[in-house]
Amino acid sequence: MAEAIAASLPAQSAAPTIAAPVHEAIPTSMTKYIDVEADIPLTGVQLDGMVVSKILKHAREAPASSAHGLLLGLDLNGTLEISNSFALPQYSGDDDDKTSKMSARYQASMLRSLREVQADDSVVGFYQATTLGAFFSQSLVETQAIHQDKLRHGGVVVIHDITSTARGNASFRAFRLTSAFMDAYKRKNFNSASLAAHKLTFTSILEEVPLTIRTNPLLSSFLGSLAQSTPSGVSPAAVSSESALPPSFSALQLGSAGLTRNLEQIAESIDHYRVEEGNLAYLSRQIARERAKADNYVAKRKEENAARAAQGLPLLPEEDVNRMFKIPAEPSRLESILLLGQVDAYAKSLSGAASGGLVKMYAARTGGNA
Amino acid sequence: MILAPSSSALHVHAPLPSGSTTTTPKTPTAVTIHPVALFSILDHYLRRKEEEDRVLGTLLGTRTDSGIEVRSSFAVLHKETAEQVAVDMDYHRTMYDLHHKVNPKEVIVGWYSTGSDLNSFSALIQNFYGQETAPHQAIHVTLNTGVDAGEKAGVKAYFSSPVGVYPRPENCVFVPVPVKLEFHDAERSGLDLLKSTATAASASSSQPIGDLDVLEGAIHNINDMLDRVLGYVRSVLSGETKGDPALGRYLMDTLGTSLEDGSFHSSLQDTLMISYLGGLVQAQAEVSARLALVSA
Repeated sequence: MAEAIAASLPAQSAAPTIAAPVHEAIPTSMTKYIDVEADIPLTGVQLDGMVVSKILKHAREAPASSAHGLLLGLDLNGTLEISNSFALPQYSGDDDDKTSKMSARYQASMLRSLREVQADDSVVGFYQATTLGAFFSQSLVETQAIHQDKLRHGGVVVIHDITSTARGNASFRAFRLTSAFMDAYKRKNFNSASLAAHKLTFTSILEEVPLTIRTNPLLSSFLGSLAQSTPSGVSPAAVSSESALPPSFSALQLGSAGLTRNLEQIAESIDHYRVEEGNLAYLSRQIARERAKADNYVAKRKEENAARAAQGLPLLPEEDVNRMFKIPAEPSRLESILLLGQVDAYAKSLSGAASGGLVKMYAARTGGNA
Repeated sequence: MILAPSSSALHVHAPLPSGSTTTTPKTPTAVTIHPVALFSILDHYLRRKEEEDRVLGTLLGTRTDSGIEVRSSFAVLHKETAEQVAVDMDYHRTMYDLHHKVNPKEVIVGWYSTGSDLNSFSALIQNFYGQETAPHQAIHVTLNTGVDAGEKAGVKAYFSSPVGVYPRPENCVFVPVPVKLEFHDAERSGLDLLKSTATAASASSSQPIGDLDVLEGAIHNINDMLDRVLGYVRSVLSGETKGDPALGRYLMDTLGTSLEDGSFHSSLQDTLMISYLGGLVQAQAEVSARLALVSA
């Protein structure tokens, strides 16, 4: 092993200085750790405890599920270890160009600052807070598409559900865009033929990457001492032993608060979907009408030419039909798919909450009768 | 939620004389810390250079009438030798500006260092942060990581007051202030998640966790508590331990709560209805997505 390390080191350090570096073959024992070309596919994401708490805080403080930020870390042997994160500011300007420039400058200077204190400074993805599990949106998909193009391993997006966290089950999930979607996205083609070819539905836009949460030993021991009961000095009775992290029972809340909000959200997203479907239907009707006109024209001209040929007259020219009739391009169905995904996610979280509520209600009744 | 064993010290606030014209703000009487600030400090400590024995950084937060809420923290570079200490001020200002853009409500409230000893360097740094937070007083939070043998992990907070006939920056008294861990209820489950992760053998847990698993955990927890209470009550009844009237009162209030049974059925029907509705919408969405793929 020591020889293997020694053998691999010169190649590493020599690379930046010599103009034409000679790459030595990496010994097989080290291939797990030295992965220059990002050949090892990602099989999981590991989220550090500090990142968990940073996302939690940012998500709660930011208005209306708009919290997003960058994730920093490294990948090692197929596991993407996310060790730090920082929030991105909300620019409310309308000027897109200026906004992206300011955001880029912010990122660059934050990364530079973090490097100075030995924190990881390579961007591996971003996080997005969401409510009621519905996170499909154009901007999320676009950001991730850009990341997937530029970042090593394509990066991941970590979704944090505020509603579920408030209900007592902190939820973090990691996603990537599927290759089918990336293919369609690169061609900028989301008409129905392309969707059918790529078999794209809202469930096949994103693929989930297994996510684990890890606390480093220092944090583990610190949390352990926080949770420990320390007898408070004021009254030495057994009752008043207090711990900084007493157990909580928010998961046992019977109240179905938030279900109304959830229902409203469903109705709202279905409305949006219907409007979008209406637009699509209008556009496709228009396309069909224009196409029918063009076809009529061509058929008529052909008939005429056939008649003229029979009479021995010179043929009329077959004009460029496309120039005479503007057939609109087939509309993109991406928005409609995303909205449908939104509807589905709201419905899923509604039925999840309802079934959890049922279990709790029966449990409470049994407990109450006993 | 106290962080350290409370001392016997009293924290008294002398009301300002009504006739006084001084506008000096009150000294803080309580400090609350958000977990994220502590976790960042721990991470910073973990990533320190080999030759550093302690790290320090800036605390951001908000001031309220009753005290100071520390909401987050960031690391600041510093060099410490036997003779002198240097803190990278430019770095501190840049980082503060960056943080301020994301969260304009959070201002500099003080600074942190790891380890629990205070020395004359601490006084110098305190003096600098005092200028940053003027006219308010800066607080100093020390976090003992519990790494050194014989020392317990814990957090302490201080504010300083000048001492001596001629005030000099390196002379000051650090006065302890009670410090509490505080976070919003909505963040509770996240901390529970971290806590259960930390106690797991591999120090990692996979996501997502089902709602029912969380519920099961909570019910097990309650079961354990009931067992403890039962054990206590039995030992009181058998005369082994002397009953505490206050405890008995609490138990009666808690266990005497009865459920009103009348609304159960209507509530059940509502919940069932919602569950069916959710299933229906999901099915419709799925069908619709499939239909979009069918070409004419």
